[in-house]
Amino acid sequence: MSARAASTPAGAAEPAALEIVDATKAFPGVVALDRVSLRVGRGEVVGLIGENGAGKSSLVKVLTGVYTPDSGEIRVAGRKVEFHSPRDAFDHGIGLVFQEQSLMLNMSIAENMFLGRESEFASFGVLNKRRLHAATRRELAKVDLDIAPSTICAKLSFGQRQLVEIAKALSLDGRIDGAITVLLDEPTSVLEEREVKLLFRKVRELRARASFVFISHRLDEVLEISDRVYVMRDGKVTGEVKAGEADVHQLHRLMVGRSLQAEYYREARQAAPGTRVVLRAQGLQRHGAFHDIKFELHESEVLGIAGVVGSGREELARCLAGLESLDGGTVEVEGQALLPGSATAAVRAGIGYIPRERKVEGIIGAQSVAENMTLARLSGFATAGVLRRRREREVARHWIDRLHIKTPGEATPIGSLSGGNQQKVVLAKWRIAGSKVLVLDHPTRGVDVGAKEDVYELIRDMTQEGLSLILLADTLEELIGLSGRILVMRDGRISAEVNSAAGTKPQQVALIEHMV
Amino acid sequence: MSALRAPAPYNWRHMLRRHAALVALVALTLLVGLREPGFLRPETMMVLVSDTTTLFLMAAGATFVIMLGSIDLSIQAVASLASVMIATMFPGWGPWAIPAALLAGAACGLACGWSHTRLRIPSFIATLAVSGVVVSLSFWLSNEASVAITQVHRDAWLGWATGQSLGIRHEVYVGFGALLFLIFVQKATVFGRLIESIGHGELAAIASGIRVTRVKLWVFVLSGLLAALSGIVFSARMASGSPTLANEFLLPSIAAIVVGGTALTGGVGGIWQTYLGALIVSVLRIGMTFVGINVFAQQIVFGTVLIVAVAFTIDRSRIRVVK
Amino acid sequence: MVPIPAAARQGLRSFAPLIVLLALFAGLSLATDGFFDLWNFGRLLSASAIPIVLVMGATFIILTGSVDLSVEGVIAVSGVLVSMLVRNSMTPLDLGLWAVPIGVALGGAIGLLNGVIHVTLRAPSFMTTLGVGFACVGTATAVLGGDTVRISDQTFRAISLQRLFGLPYGVWIAFVTVGVALFIQQRTLVGRWLYAIGGDEEIARQVGVPVVRTRVLAFALAGLFTGLAGVLAAAQIGQGHALLGSGRLFVTITSTVVGGVALSGGVGSVLNAVVGVLIVVTLDDGLVLLGVPPFFQQAVQGLMIIAAVALSLDRSRLAVVK
Repeated sequence: MSARAASTPAGAAEPAALEIVDATKAFPGVVALDRVSLRVGRGEVVGLIGENGAGKSSLVKVLTGVYTPDSGEIRVAGRKVEFHSPRDAFDHGIGLVFQEQSLMLNMSIAENMFLGRESEFASFGVLNKRRLHAATRRELAKVDLDIAPSTICAKLSFGQRQLVEIAKALSLDGRIDGAITVLLDEPTSVLEEREVKLLFRKVRELRARASFVFISHRLDEVLEISDRVYVMRDGKVTGEVKAGEADVHQLHRLMVGRSLQAEYYREARQAAPGTRVVLRAQGLQRHGAFHDIKFELHESEVLGIAGVVGSGREELARCLAGLESLDGGTVEVEGQALLPGSATAAVRAGIGYIPRERKVEGIIGAQSVAENMTLARLSGFATAGVLRRRREREVARHWIDRLHIKTPGEATPIGSLSGGNQQKVVLAKWRIAGSKVLVLDHPTRGVDVGAKEDVYELIRDMTQEGLSLILLADTLEELIGLSGRILVMRDGRISAEVNSAAGTKPQQVALIEHMV
Repeated sequence: MSALRAPAPYNWRHMLRRHAALVALVALTLLVGLREPGFLRPETMMVLVSDTTTLFLMAAGATFVIMLGSIDLSIQAVASLASVMIATMFPGWGPWAIPAALLAGAACGLACGWSHTRLRIPSFIATLAVSGVVVSLSFWLSNEASVAITQVHRDAWLGWATGQSLGIRHEVYVGFGALLFLIFVQKATVFGRLIESIGHGELAAIASGIRVTRVKLWVFVLSGLLAALSGIVFSARMASGSPTLANEFLLPSIAAIVVGGTALTGGVGGIWQTYLGALIVSVLRIGMTFVGINVFAQQIVFGTVLIVAVAFTIDRSRIRVVK
Repeated sequence: MVPIPAAARQGLRSFAPLIVLLALFAGLSLATDGFFDLWNFGRLLSASAIPIVLVMGATFIILTGSVDLSVEGVIAVSGVLVSMLVRNSMTPLDLGLWAVPIGVALGGAIGLLNGVIHVTLRAPSFMTTLGVGFACVGTATAVLGGDTVRISDQTFRAISLQRLFGLPYGVWIAFVTVGVALFIQQRTLVGRWLYAIGGDEEIARQVGVPVVRTRVLAFALAGLFTGLAGVLAAAQIGQGHALLGSGRLFVTITSTVVGGVALSGGVGSVLNAVVGVLIVVTLDDGLVLLGVPPFFQQAVQGLMIIAAVALSLDRSRLAVVK
């Protein structure tokens, strides 16, 4: 087939390879996709960008059959389809190559290639390995991968594994009628330069056989490889541009949202941080996540960390909390060196952690409010190992009042409280433990709007009382609103430090620049 | 704005678990009593409670292990070891044999706990492996035979387990004493609270700075200690010690724990539930004998009861993929 | 640590048990008089026959990430059943070699039961198989009332005792069993799916692998192998009784793990398990030759399991271990 130019949406005479029309998907409290429409023409490479929470991963889940849209249509090669499982989506020609990869590392290339579809090569349950391997070799040839099909996938490099996954998607060619669309979800984060170039070359060569959707936070790469780019924000598609005509700044603006409401984030209460350094980090590194991280945290400061998925900020937060180990660097809290990789040491040193997955790491659902509150400092509620329950009840009641936690009592199982109130209990836990530094990892996730404001008030309260906070927020808006200073991370490094004092809040665009 | 959602499923499940065992116990007792009225006499009841002591002690230690979400398959081996130790050591060491046996039990528990926590071996394998070593040790100490405990020694040093006071067998006191002490540990100490927390939410416990490894180690030590105690009590009754003395107790112990309402997934249940479960197992056993199910076939019943009880109490929301 | 060495380690790990075996051979040949002797090797192989048949089944289960603790019970019921079907001291039946497939089939049926209970109740396999195992031992005890059946059918006993080219038939049967198991593992869909389930069950399910069916089938297959082992055991000892399988669980699990089959699933092969059996049997033999009393073997096996699991690079060691 001769080289095809990027098909223009208007002049498309034949049906698109993949099209999603007016898809909506809502969960309690959040609309993940809001009437999203997207079109991938035959032989096109379409880019998809958006910051965290924009809806990219929800869109991918809908396209690959993990979610069913509440309304809207998916069309493959012009025909309406419905997916009830990932296998369904695959059988219709939609292949997903994603960061965590879905290859069985303990099995060979050939076995992975046709996993679940082996009946083509088997009779009476017995596999014909020769035919399986021959077919695999043919598929691997499409991506120019010259490796024995019997090779165990654990032995392949990340780049090779990716090509195998692409080949797996392409193996649908000739086996189904319809179009093949390969979704590449953050494919380059784990690749080296050389491998990225290789990947791009392959994608360009393969346009004759399949269409591609390239999802990434690396704007320059998206623009390099795509014909058209869609921008998403808050579950909607906010823009669609031709890659050749795109202006990076315009894209940035399409990615970010409305202006800040200072009152919402209690900006008036944002105080200037103290001068005393409470936490000092030097040369922090963790292989595969971040390196060369250096910063200081001052008393009463809210230090925000901005970054997209893959920037390393979430791993950094967990390392500070001692839940993951560091490969190098030192952390000092109040001048004392902190033993890395130990949550016990971090808690003793005065670091508390508000986790992303509250239900798993933040609360113990079956236990009571009081029991949850005292967990980080039980010794303070016991004499010679024997619990002093009355004291526990008193202290719990005190904090229930102080933080306005809505609960029938301190003995109520915390699992029956709302998300926002659960979060307040977690905060109380660290206050009771006497933490001086709190690492807040998406603290308002799963918290409804009214409760969010409570949390913001609490954050201001805490800084006023001398606590220092490190904040990873769900949205840039929230991050900017709450923080006094922001570190921006990209691909494992700190790419910028931005002042965010009350009254001189930066624009979201200014941050996005350093994130993508 | 109502901040309270409808109570999560915790509540009705907890209620059921809390009372099901007691109801089952009473119902079973009455059922057996119907068949055999002599069963309901106080003397028979006391024998029942007294005989249940060994089972309860062994199951009690393992209860804490199961509350953590792990399992201890070495308890019967440790109990047998303890019986061998006191039988062989009484002549030479006198009453010191008893603390020695208890210490040995604790050491076995430590070995289990260490293999599990430091070497990160799944608990059922770690405890299975340790049980192999322990059994070998028992055989070695006893010269592969059963060792008798003389009446003299029994009276001198095991009177606390074999005699009677105020018309009640000592075993009952021992069982009750252990019950009260262990309930205290579970409900009123930091240790007990940590066990529950780790069992219900290990990740949250870790994130809260709890030294989970240390707690787990001590739980296994306690399990070994109680298994040893149960072995001593049993050997006092049998007047002998042997490497296989307690073998038949493994299945009923686990059954007692599970039937009592402690879930394999961890967190739920406790010592009191195990006590009820042990009584249920005893009543079930006696009941089956009365009804005419021969002693051999009883194992089938226990095996089935075990499976059913596990399926009923396990909290499937906690585990996505069951292996 | 850099992620790549996993691949290199994979290769080395599958050789490690073999190296251990060779080292054992070398060490024992030097340390004792009786070891390096053709007759002793023959004895080793004879002792390995039944364990080898057992680990074939155990491997399939462990590959999926589950475990089967019902082995001793299944051996008991199949052994007892077979002993009562051939010419014996308790029943008037005399089915001769027809008893063999019946015994094997019974094992398979119990295996099927294991699988169905496990997947239907969604309870951990170690618990459900433990329960089934106990129930089986109980059944065997109940049926016999604690007695022992004495087998007088010499043709039947020949399958374990009579020799062909110097080795008992039992050994040749074990070889064939390995061949069959290897074929299933390498050449059939079910075999490959075992690896997928052990590798990542969620992904396997999403991709369309019939996970539930395969797991039940794995237990059924294991039951067949265990049933065969029960038949061989009855033939070897010439008796049927409820404790026929006593002690076999330990050896089975030790051999499988020591041979290099990962407890977390997805890694290993029936050949690994065979090497594991040889290691365990050789070590036991060596201990006897060195004058160590036989009950010590359990201790050694226990330590071996611990060492094997501790030294392995299982994925399960990374997650929360229960």
